[in-house]
Amino acid sequence: MEHWVYTFHIAGHALTVNLDTILTMWFAMAVVIIFAIIATRHLSLVPGKLQAVSEGIMKFFYGTLDTMVENDNRRHVPLVASLFLFIVTANLMGQLPLRIIHLKNGGELASPTNDINLTAAMAVIVLIYYVFMGIRTKGPKFFLHELTFTGIVMALVELLEMFTRPLSLAIRLFANIFAGEILVSIALGGLAYFLPLPIMLFEILVAFIQATVFMMLTIAYIGSATGEEH
Amino acid sequence: MVDTATISQMAHLGAGIAIGFGAVGAGLGIGFATKGLMDAVSRQPEVAGKAFGFFLLGAALSEACALYAFVIAFLLLGK
Repeated sequence: MEHWVYTFHIAGHALTVNLDTILTMWFAMAVVIIFAIIATRHLSLVPGKLQAVSEGIMKFFYGTLDTMVENDNRRHVPLVASLFLFIVTANLMGQLPLRIIHLKNGGELASPTNDINLTAAMAVIVLIYYVFMGIRTKGPKFFLHELTFTGIVMALVELLEMFTRPLSLAIRLFANIFAGEILVSIALGGLAYFLPLPIMLFEILVAFIQATVFMMLTIAYIGSATGEEH
Repeated sequence: MVDTATISQMAHLGAGIAIGFGAVGAGLGIGFATKGLMDAVSRQPEVAGKAFGFFLLGAALSEACALYAFVIAFLLLGK
């Protein structure tokens, strides 16, 4: 489970880059981008097979946003959809059969989401996005609702949540993928090439569920930041 | 003065305790979620598909608690 590390120095500080994460991340991004380009090339009023599939995917995001965010919800589709598609692609990349060979030799060409730096970056993007949207819809009332004792305590709790929410988002996705890889490695040690198969099937399920969880929590945070008080 | 070998052994012990207690919580959580699913499906069998989706979501969320403990245990193993 060791990353391919490249270290360089800027002004006396050592900066470390995980090259394998960058490589696999760009591969996952390329898959999503090429799919998007191919799917939107020949759009027609009577959809073909590919267009029907991609319209179904988009309808899933629209439906989820409509039920969970109150007002002006369809503007959040770009962030939510790209997060979901990227995470699904990245998680599924780790289930390619080539990883069995890689894990045995201690290599690291699995999913990019097994690096906490990537998931933390996505979680921070979500944090910045929902705080920005909350300030835009509510103004300074987003931070402080009312000047009473309860209001101030609630404001402090929400300030704490701004720290814990991205932390839990990042660790949840990272730990699921990482634990899956360790499970597969242990199964490889037990009975090579046969015992890992059911676990890898389970990991495919986990890949979809974790992407859905990340997306659902992002939508819930946006909804609570932009919705009215009840 | 405690030597490094003892610290390492204690860290391994702590890793075991951490993942053990974390697994207890996650197991209870998934058990309650399954109980809720069974209640809902036996009361209204037509919501089975929709309820199963929410069940998977809730199970993944409570399973994450065990994985936080797993991360802590993994960090402790490196000590």
